Amino acid sequence: MNLSRIMIILAGLLIPLLLPAQSVVNTVHNLSVSGPGTVKAAGESEICIFCHTPHRSHPQSPLWNRNDPGLNYTLYNSSTTQAAPGQPDGAAILCLSCHDGTIALGEVLSRPSPIPFVNGVTVMPPGNANLSTDLSDDHPVSFHYSATLAAEDGELADPATLTGPVRLENEQLQCTACHDPHRNPFSDFLTVSTLQSELCAYCHQKDYWDNTSHKLSPATWNGAGNDPWFHTPYSTVSDNACENCHRPHSAGGHLRLMNHFPEEDNCLDCHNGNVAAEDIQMQLGKQYTHDVYSRSGVHDPEEPGVVEVRHAECEDCHNPHASRELPAPAPNANGFIEGVRGVNSAGVAVDPIQYQYELCYRCHADSPDKPASPTSRQIEQNNVRLEFDIGNPSYHPIEAAGQNNNVPSLLPPYTEASIIFCSDCHASDGSAAPAGPHGSIYPQILKFQYETADFTVESYQAYRLCYECHDRQTIIFSAGSFGQRVHRQHIVNEDTPCNACHDPHGISSLQGNATNNTHLINFAITIVSPDPASGRLEFEDLGNVRGRCYLTCHGVQHSPEFY
Amino acid sequence: MKHAKFVTFLFSGLLMLNGLLFSQTISGSAHDFSNETWNTTGELCIVCHTPHHADVTVGDAPLWNHDVTAANFTLYNSATLDATVGQPDGSSKLCLSCHDGTVAVDNFGGQTNGTQFVSGGGLIGTDLNDDHPVSFVYDATLAGNDGGLFDPTTTNSGLGGTIDEDMLFNGKLQCASCHDVHNSSGIAKLLIKPNSASALCLTCHSK
Ligand code: HEC
Ligand code: HEC
Ligand code: HEC
Ligand code: HEC
Repeated sequence: MNLSRIMIILAGLLIPLLLPAQSVVNTVHNLSVSGPGTVKAAGESEICIFCHTPHRSHPQSPLWNRNDPGLNYTLYNSSTTQAAPGQPDGAAILCLSCHDGTIALGEVLSRPSPIPFVNGVTVMPPGNANLSTDLSDDHPVSFHYSATLAAEDGELADPATLTGPVRLENEQLQCTACHDPHRNPFSDFLTVSTLQSELCAYCHQKDYWDNTSHKLSPATWNGAGNDPWFHTPYSTVSDNACENCHRPHSAGGHLRLMNHFPEEDNCLDCHNGNVAAEDIQMQLGKQYTHDVYSRSGVHDPEEPGVVEVRHAECEDCHNPHASRELPAPAPNANGFIEGVRGVNSAGVAVDPIQYQYELCYRCHADSPDKPASPTSRQIEQNNVRLEFDIGNPSYHPIEAAGQNNNVPSLLPPYTEASIIFCSDCHASDGSAAPAGPHGSIYPQILKFQYETADFTVESYQAYRLCYECHDRQTIIFSAGSFGQRVHRQHIVNEDTPCNACHDPHGISSLQGNATNNTHLINFAITIVSPDPASGRLEFEDLGNVRGRCYLTCHGVQHSPEFY
Repeated sequence: MKHAKFVTFLFSGLLMLNGLLFSQTISGSAHDFSNETWNTTGELCIVCHTPHHADVTVGDAPLWNHDVTAANFTLYNSATLDATVGQPDGSSKLCLSCHDGTVAVDNFGGQTNGTQFVSGGGLIGTDLNDDHPVSFVYDATLAGNDGGLFDPTTTNSGLGGTIDEDMLFNGKLQCASCHDVHNSSGIAKLLIKPNSASALCLTCHSK
């Protein structure tokens, strides 16, 4: 009898030691006195008791030994959530009976008074493990993950595939889909590793994701500035994957569980030259920018295709699940702006865009509250979609090749058949600047200097924006009467800017016509005024590089002037 | 697995020896009814066993002398349970013949008008949804399906043999898998082995 009792006791002591390495015994969920963590009982040796009891358990399975916190939690919600997370139930409420920080860890049903903890700990100490009763910064739980939900969302796995380590409980997504409270083979009791976001991918199947640099890039952090991967153990973009930007708990940006709020901080921790080679943050610090800083919480992925409340966030122009380096010939959208929404040449919302200009049209076409054009002209138009319409008398070739098939000034590789991008003119200045209209020292986020003031002394620099494509030599020194009498006379001799006569985008056919508004002619009325003799302010195209003007400029009356 | 027939044979003899085998340990335990006023025989074993006219309604009951419960039990259930749990049978039904609170403790030896009922912690009741499941087959297949259980046929129970040999009854998990009704090892709550460091639970659960 004595011997067998000793054996039993010995066995009892040995069994935990003999258990396979992946046992609750070796984890911080062993809250007993033998536990490896710092939050643990002062004397209690039983391990299961903190959660389970063989008798008189809480009605909540499995044999729960704790009270239901019985609280009303603030739930996760966002405009893109199809699921309807309810108050936590199932396994979730069990986890929360410790992890919301309201019930003493040692308060179990099978003991008359709470089991004492070391260091006087009662409830869950503050920190990552204490989720609080505000679950709006945590991944939603306790919702029905049905095939219908997956179909509605469009980027979720069919729940029928969840038969492996990630599982649902009664078709509900609960904490236990991602966490196994008894085993901790990875970290944080996860059921699957988060390396390269393997865990997330069990459910989330984001469109485009397989090809994006955010999944594939081996880039590392140079150690300067903020640690972009402050909540993971990984050190490359590809290893962090979803967690480059998202956090399943304690998310700084509650909506869509972003690492940070405001929005741009998620991007700029990497796109500041510390991880990604190009320093976008520097561009956004210039005087003329797509100002991502001034507004926060306005952008919403569900906002209408035609933007109604003006704002510019990084994710308005970039789809972080899709972005990649993949050049495309104009007018096609390249990889940087792949998978974003836009508005097509007919003014109809499209998702995704096919052409770059469709992205610009979201805000610069039919949106309300657009600023007035920077130049006051005889024909006013600030809807760029109408300015670039291919039915117009003239336009820069954004949607299709231009109307004029005789443009001698064009520098190679440009020809009359070329199509160009909005971003050929509107982009960050500087020869090494990253592509795209992030920020420039020139107004209108122009890539090069473009002087519009009257009496500007002509130079290559002053009009470099134009001279990049239109040969300065041909424009102002060519021998013909046009070159001499028109361009040289006005630009060089009279110090008039290109912008005085030309409206660089185009003239809408709704307002202009093929007699008066070819060659992007639409006078700036701050410089050019009507001819007092006829009262006309007009250019007339007479064909064959011939025309006449009725106007007054620099005190010189054209009533008309021919060339 | 225990050999009921052999036991029954042995058993009659043992009872005649006035329960010498278990008397030392059971006496003084919660199951020692020899000093109860309602037990006029003053015997230890009589409330549960009798060598004669034993109740055979429960299969494999060891010469049962106690009124057997007829209650219909609410069974344990959960989203993660893999076992098929049935109405209590075998020795569990015997335990519940006192511990469900529907049958009087002093309903033994043919008596059915007893007045002593278990109460407090001893009262398990007829709702078993808040109790560890019992009366189900626990075999290698279940262990495989669950993934968090040891194979009972190969895992040492710490009591000398495998879980199956020492803790299961015809392959089934019962109240007596965890409890020793006779208190032979004198562990609190009539446990079959100590539960310090949750050693009892971790015998079967690979958690
Ligand atoms: C409170 C009820 C109760 C009392 C009192 C009781 N028994 Fe039992 N006994 C049982 C139950 C239930 C079983 C079947 C479950 C088991 O074997 O653990 C059993 C089984 C047995 C067995 C066969 C199985 C084994 O464990 O070997 C023997 C022999 C036995 N009892 C002898 C005795 C003797 C002798 C006494 C008196 C000293 C006694 N019992 C007192 C309830 C009781
Ligand atoms: C004859 C009736 C009867 C039977 C049969 C019976 N018990 Fe009991 N049991 C009692 C009574 C009475 C108590 C004391 C309850 C109290 O203190 O309220 C008790 C107490 C217990 C306790 C608590 C022990 C302690 O020290 O606190 C356990 C555990 C227990 N029984 C388990 C069992 C198991 C397991 C079985 C079946 C194998 C069983 N009983 C069969 C009547 C019975
Ligand atoms: C999986 C193991 C296990 C099974 C199966 C099991 N018990 Fe228990 N039981 C325990 C443990 C462990 C305790 C002690 C609990 C504690 O101290 O918190 C206990 C305690 C008890 C008590 C005393 C409760 C108290 O508060 O004093 C009774 C009575 C009891 N069990 C009866 C039963 C009966 C009847 C069955 C079958 C229906 C059963 N047990 C099945 C493990 C089990
Ligand atoms: C004799 C073996 C054995 C012992 C000892 C044992 N269990 Fe179990 N337990 C099982 C089996 C088998 C199941 C059924 C598992 C299943 O089907 O999912 C189970 C089920 C459970 C469940 C329900 C699981 C679910 O999925 O709903 C809990 C909780 C549990 N046991 C806790 C305990 C605790 C706590 C102890 C110690 C007091 C304990 N068990 C001791 C074998 C045992």
